[in-house]
Amino acid sequence: MSGYLESQLIILCLNVIYAYGIFLPAASGQLNLGAAGFITIGAYSSAWINASGAPMYIAIPASMLFCAAIAFTIAFPILRTRGVYMVLATFAFAEVVAGLIINLEFLGAAAGYPVESHADYLVVVPVTILVVLLCFFLMSTRLGLAMRSIHDDEAVATLFGVDVRLAKVAAFTLGAALMSLGGALYGHHYNYIETQTFNVLLSIYILLYVLLGGTQTAWGPLVGAAFFTVVPEALRQIATASGHAWIADSRFIFFGAIIVLMMVFRPEGLVTRTMVDRAATPFGGGRSGAAPAARTA
Amino acid sequence: MDLSQLPQQIVNGLMLGGVYVMVAVAFTLIIGMLNFLNFTVPALFMLAAVLMWAILEGHGIALDLTAIAVLLVLAMMVADRLQQARLPPPVKTVGALGLVAGACVFLWLTLSFRPGPAVFAWLDGAVGAGGRWFLGIVVALATVAVLSLLIERFTYRYMKAKYGDATEHALPLVSSLGFLIVIEHTVISTWGSDALTTESPFGNASFEVGPVLFSVPQLLSLILSLAIVFGLSVMLKTTKLGRALRSIAERPDTAPLMGVEVGRIVPVVYVIAGLLCATAGILFTINYTTVDAYIGDTVATVAIAGMVLGGLGNVWGAIVGAMLIGMVEVMSIYMVGATFKKIPIWGLLLLILIVRPTGLFGHTAIGKGKF
Amino acid sequence: MADNVLSIEGLHKSFGGLKVIDDVGFAVKRGSRTALIGPNGAGKTTVFNLLTGVYPVDEGTMVLDGRDITRVPAKDRVIFGMSRSFQNIRLMPHLSTVENVMLGQHARARRLGDLLYPLGLMPGNRWARAAKEALEDAGLETYPGQVVANLPYGVQKRIEVVRAMISQPKLLLLDEPAAGLNQVEAQQLLALLEKVSASGVTLLVVEHDMHFVHNLCDHVAVLNFGKKIFEGTPAQVNDDPLVREAYLGSDTSMAGQQNAAPAAGAADAP
Ligand SMILES: Nc1ncnc2c1ncn2[C@@H]1O[C@H](COP(=O)(O)OP(=O)(O)OP(=O)(O)O)[C@@H](O)[C@H]1O
Ligand SMILES: [Mg+2]
Repeated sequence: MSGYLESQLIILCLNVIYAYGIFLPAASGQLNLGAAGFITIGAYSSAWINASGAPMYIAIPASMLFCAAIAFTIAFPILRTRGVYMVLATFAFAEVVAGLIINLEFLGAAAGYPVESHADYLVVVPVTILVVLLCFFLMSTRLGLAMRSIHDDEAVATLFGVDVRLAKVAAFTLGAALMSLGGALYGHHYNYIETQTFNVLLSIYILLYVLLGGTQTAWGPLVGAAFFTVVPEALRQIATASGHAWIADSRFIFFGAIIVLMMVFRPEGLVTRTMVDRAATPFGGGRSGAAPAARTA
Repeated sequence: MDLSQLPQQIVNGLMLGGVYVMVAVAFTLIIGMLNFLNFTVPALFMLAAVLMWAILEGHGIALDLTAIAVLLVLAMMVADRLQQARLPPPVKTVGALGLVAGACVFLWLTLSFRPGPAVFAWLDGAVGAGGRWFLGIVVALATVAVLSLLIERFTYRYMKAKYGDATEHALPLVSSLGFLIVIEHTVISTWGSDALTTESPFGNASFEVGPVLFSVPQLLSLILSLAIVFGLSVMLKTTKLGRALRSIAERPDTAPLMGVEVGRIVPVVYVIAGLLCATAGILFTINYTTVDAYIGDTVATVAIAGMVLGGLGNVWGAIVGAMLIGMVEVMSIYMVGATFKKIPIWGLLLLILIVRPTGLFGHTAIGKGKF
Repeated sequence: MADNVLSIEGLHKSFGGLKVIDDVGFAVKRGSRTALIGPNGAGKTTVFNLLTGVYPVDEGTMVLDGRDITRVPAKDRVIFGMSRSFQNIRLMPHLSTVENVMLGQHARARRLGDLLYPLGLMPGNRWARAAKEALEDAGLETYPGQVVANLPYGVQKRIEVVRAMISQPKLLLLDEPAAGLNQVEAQQLLALLEKVSASGVTLLVVEHDMHFVHNLCDHVAVLNFGKKIFEGTPAQVNDDPLVREAYLGSDTSMAGQQNAAPAAGAADAP
């Protein structure tokens, strides 16, 4: 595989893993703008464990456990907040993590931290596939059904016996573990990490991949991350090749504009529930349309 | 630690808080009215600061960008009128196509001829160096005001119709993030992502009171921003517009029944919020003389913490909260070190959100339902 | 007490100083079809909300099948054998019809193995089959990917009933199930409820349509301004002076509805 393609494939894989980490809470109606925080924890803890002598294959799962433990602890207070408050709380969490790491001398502080073991695409790609399969499986289970019910109507889900808090905490914690996995793989692939890489913009982009891909089905984050990783890059390639460098420079302007327009014309994301069902049963499908139910509280 | 520096640090904290005040109030206005966290606020702050810098430094391309922004919004307004007008559909279609074509031609002409530098050089010659000041302020305010109208359409007006279920309250948040990306990358692709510096116009004018050094521009900006914000909150209390705003904030469903024209008021809120950010941005450039494409992310988001501290939707709370956050930032830099400042600021925010989400000043029921 | 599925005593609830439920007590006999009626704003939905744990009670006790549920968390009450439908349709808009019904099975699938069973990957699994059968029993056809939001109001109303039913409750709480249904749909609903009742489920129904109540129910409790003003058989309810007074001038005229010609299928009503 050519170096360029490989590097792009790695970026795509990491974005997909991150996106699933945000998708799991989003599918149950929680907006998490703290991706960077969990990715940082994953990257640094795996690197540190690795540096302390454990092989990568132990360091990565250990970092996932560590991050999950942190997420589990903060999930109870954070999930008490809702809506805009939860967006802010997760955002603040990521900032606190960045603030902590940059002051920890044993993790290299502001100078960054070298990572020992290397993970090439032969590790990253299979792990990504496993993550995708796991999330598809999860969303197909009754737990996934409960999560989607919570997304739609928390009060009614409770009345049918769904342990709303447990499901939310599970989704949040599992998502954090996945982001930690992504962060750890990032560290082991590039063999160098610094907190500045995992900034607010990263959290924003990941949240956007998920919301633009669609939160109704497990296809959403995959399609969202792939679309918004591949298209800008392809645009850059085409533009540079054809001598219009300014298009390459301004591709993110188009990206932003696409987001704005999508919210007007296709707010439910690229992939919807109805679409997946219709694709699965090309002849059995019936009436279509996606008008939201007229519902009063 | 040298305690003799403490009074000076307190003053510095207040000055920094002064920068956050207007941005925090801009956030809080939109959240209070429309229940949505407007991420274009940091972008508009940054844009105004960079435009001010660009004009002071003589970058004529800033005028081109302004022209494009104005054009976009004009086209949008004409399109709205066209849509509402009682004309046969084919005429509307032709009109819309003509509008798009006209806009494209204008865009192409602007981008290929770049008239900005020439216009700028002419203005410079005609008015003299002081003219840049005036021009910078006018361009920054005008661009942001005009963009606010554009943003209002895409985060609020065009989206209203699709409201009605659980996912969709995230929509305005997402489009505001889209605008954030567009604005940031417009600046980056024009001027790069490195620090941009200019000369301090007031020099280092300052005076001493006892052990404390007051920088004149900083003091003036603090006074100015407090005056603007106080004026605004008085306006919210006393005028007809203020009453309309509050009735939308408190009872969005019944406000229209009480004769409040929501569709006309909301753009006004966006423009007010935009002008607040723009003023903050302009003052930032004048005071700190160094800006970059990311000051929205690094500076203006801190104002969010201040706003939450004061309670979402609470203008007076935002003022106090922003001053407090400025103080926390300066104090933690003073006592522990610059790299440390994120922990107290965001830790405090996290704590407040968990322990007392209504903020320091008690109950506001705003911002709970939607994102 | 074993012959009462539900007994409520001394129930009180206020919202910010407004007494909405004031010392309400009644019992629902096992296997009965009890109606809870009253003018608009009488507090009927609030009784359901207190029973299912949407709001905590201020005072009073609620005993379901011999067990005190007053302090049981809302999510556990369905396990004790009670489920409900809603006055305003509360189906999940992003779930298909079958999935909506499968949510009703949640209380019976709380083991880890059930929670992690890949329903979506096994189209013919027993949960989905049960849900489809229940829908068919209710006369509702389904197709894959059916979005509930696009279905007619009457169909959505009945899906709600099926969703509540499939949790196999001892007591089924229905909040105005016939509201907004046309004659034919109301008859289908009546037939469905007859069948449910015959299978041993006790019904507690809030309903404004007195014709429907007369056809379905064997026992009636009447609320007015948060107080119980009457309890007895449907035949007695019209003659009660307090009830007459409560309804006088309100938009639901009992006399008018009671005199309405009985529709087809009413013969097998008690
Ligand atoms: N959460 C609440 N907060 C405040 N008041 C409430 C609340 N829920 C109900 N109420 C009030 O309690 C009273 C009873 O309401 P409820 O919905 O129980 O009436 P109802 O008998 O179901 O009426 P309807 O026939 O219209 O459905 C009403 O005055 C209502 O305004
Ligand atoms: Mg009711």
